[in-house]
Amino acid sequence: MAVDAKKIISVYSAGELPRDKKGIIGVFGIYAAYNYNEFFYKIVSRTLTQASKEEAERLESQLYKAVLDCAYYTFHGASASMLWREIVSPMIETPEDEIYALVAFTNVFGIGYLKVIELVPGEKLVTRVHNAYDPGRYLEEYGPQPRGRCYMFRACTASYMDLVYGAPFPKGIGTFKCKEVKCRSMGDKYCEFIATKNLK
Amino acid sequence: MNLSKYIFNKKFFPEENLISICGVLASLHCHHFNCGLLKALEELNGIDGLGLFIKTTEEVYLQAFSDYLKQHRELKTIADKLQAASEMYYAFGFGELDLSGLNEQGGIAKAISSYYVTAWLAKYGRRHSPVCYFTCGFIAGILESIFNKPKGHYRVKEVECLMTGSDFCKFKVEEI
Repeated sequence: MAVDAKKIISVYSAGELPRDKKGIIGVFGIYAAYNYNEFFYKIVSRTLTQASKEEAERLESQLYKAVLDCAYYTFHGASASMLWREIVSPMIETPEDEIYALVAFTNVFGIGYLKVIELVPGEKLVTRVHNAYDPGRYLEEYGPQPRGRCYMFRACTASYMDLVYGAPFPKGIGTFKCKEVKCRSMGDKYCEFIATKNLK
Repeated sequence: MNLSKYIFNKKFFPEENLISICGVLASLHCHHFNCGLLKALEELNGIDGLGLFIKTTEEVYLQAFSDYLKQHRELKTIADKLQAASEMYYAFGFGELDLSGLNEQGGIAKAISSYYVTAWLAKYGRRHSPVCYFTCGFIAGILESIFNKPKGHYRVKEVECLMTGSDFCKFKVEEI
């Protein structure tokens, strides 16, 4: 059975997320909140442009780590859930199917549509997004950027490989690294990410 | 809390993986990222990362809540607008925020639950200082919207926090 991305997106985008009695959203072992995309763009872009080169690089590294944690734990929590076992697990026959399922699941969070371009089992994953929010805003406000600005998709792409081909959860995090090789903020038509083994 | 009176329309566009809330693009993020971002800003050297976080939150929600009020002209009283802001905060998942003690000059706001407290405890454990910087910026922004004040008109300080052992988070609001 092939992975039915549309079905995964339909199931996971339906209905309201569960809350505790005080209104906090808790699901898949994480606490979640909605926020405006402009909020994240403005905070990060302003900090990067005001900070020293060293501090900006440190911030980018910390953001990558924060999203990697976010993706690794959220995707693990989702794939361990009853809903996943009922709806998604029957679609999965190989580790590669699991990568496609996790990418489909990512496409319910409102961050732009990510798709797989190339997958070499256990070695390499190439993903692409045409409509990430931040790159367009960087172009509008600051002009072409010297490097990609999509720390979120970069870390997500590494996390799929970590979960599927890394050591069993939670030890596999950081098994793969990811580079953004094209970004709309640099003038490219889309943003593209390549995850490969982290040999450090 | 009357959730039926105030509407925060959330639309999902599956072909694009976009979410709009009240017509503005939004996304859902977990505590690992939200707290990781806050911690990274808190640890910056040579730049007031937390000040930037509060000011940006204020700016974004001044704009967002002004847009919301333009779409909901049926909200005429100050009490109604404050309640709508409180329910926007709830709808986004930030917890329960009582804004009824605020007026044009400022006042006191209270939160009986806080996303950032819950999230920080889950991610990093207990700390000995307040953590609700987002709420400070949010309160400033929505008050400036309601009372038609410019950005930077209000100063909001969290004087008690669930994180540090209080029964609720307490925010003191003053005009600058």
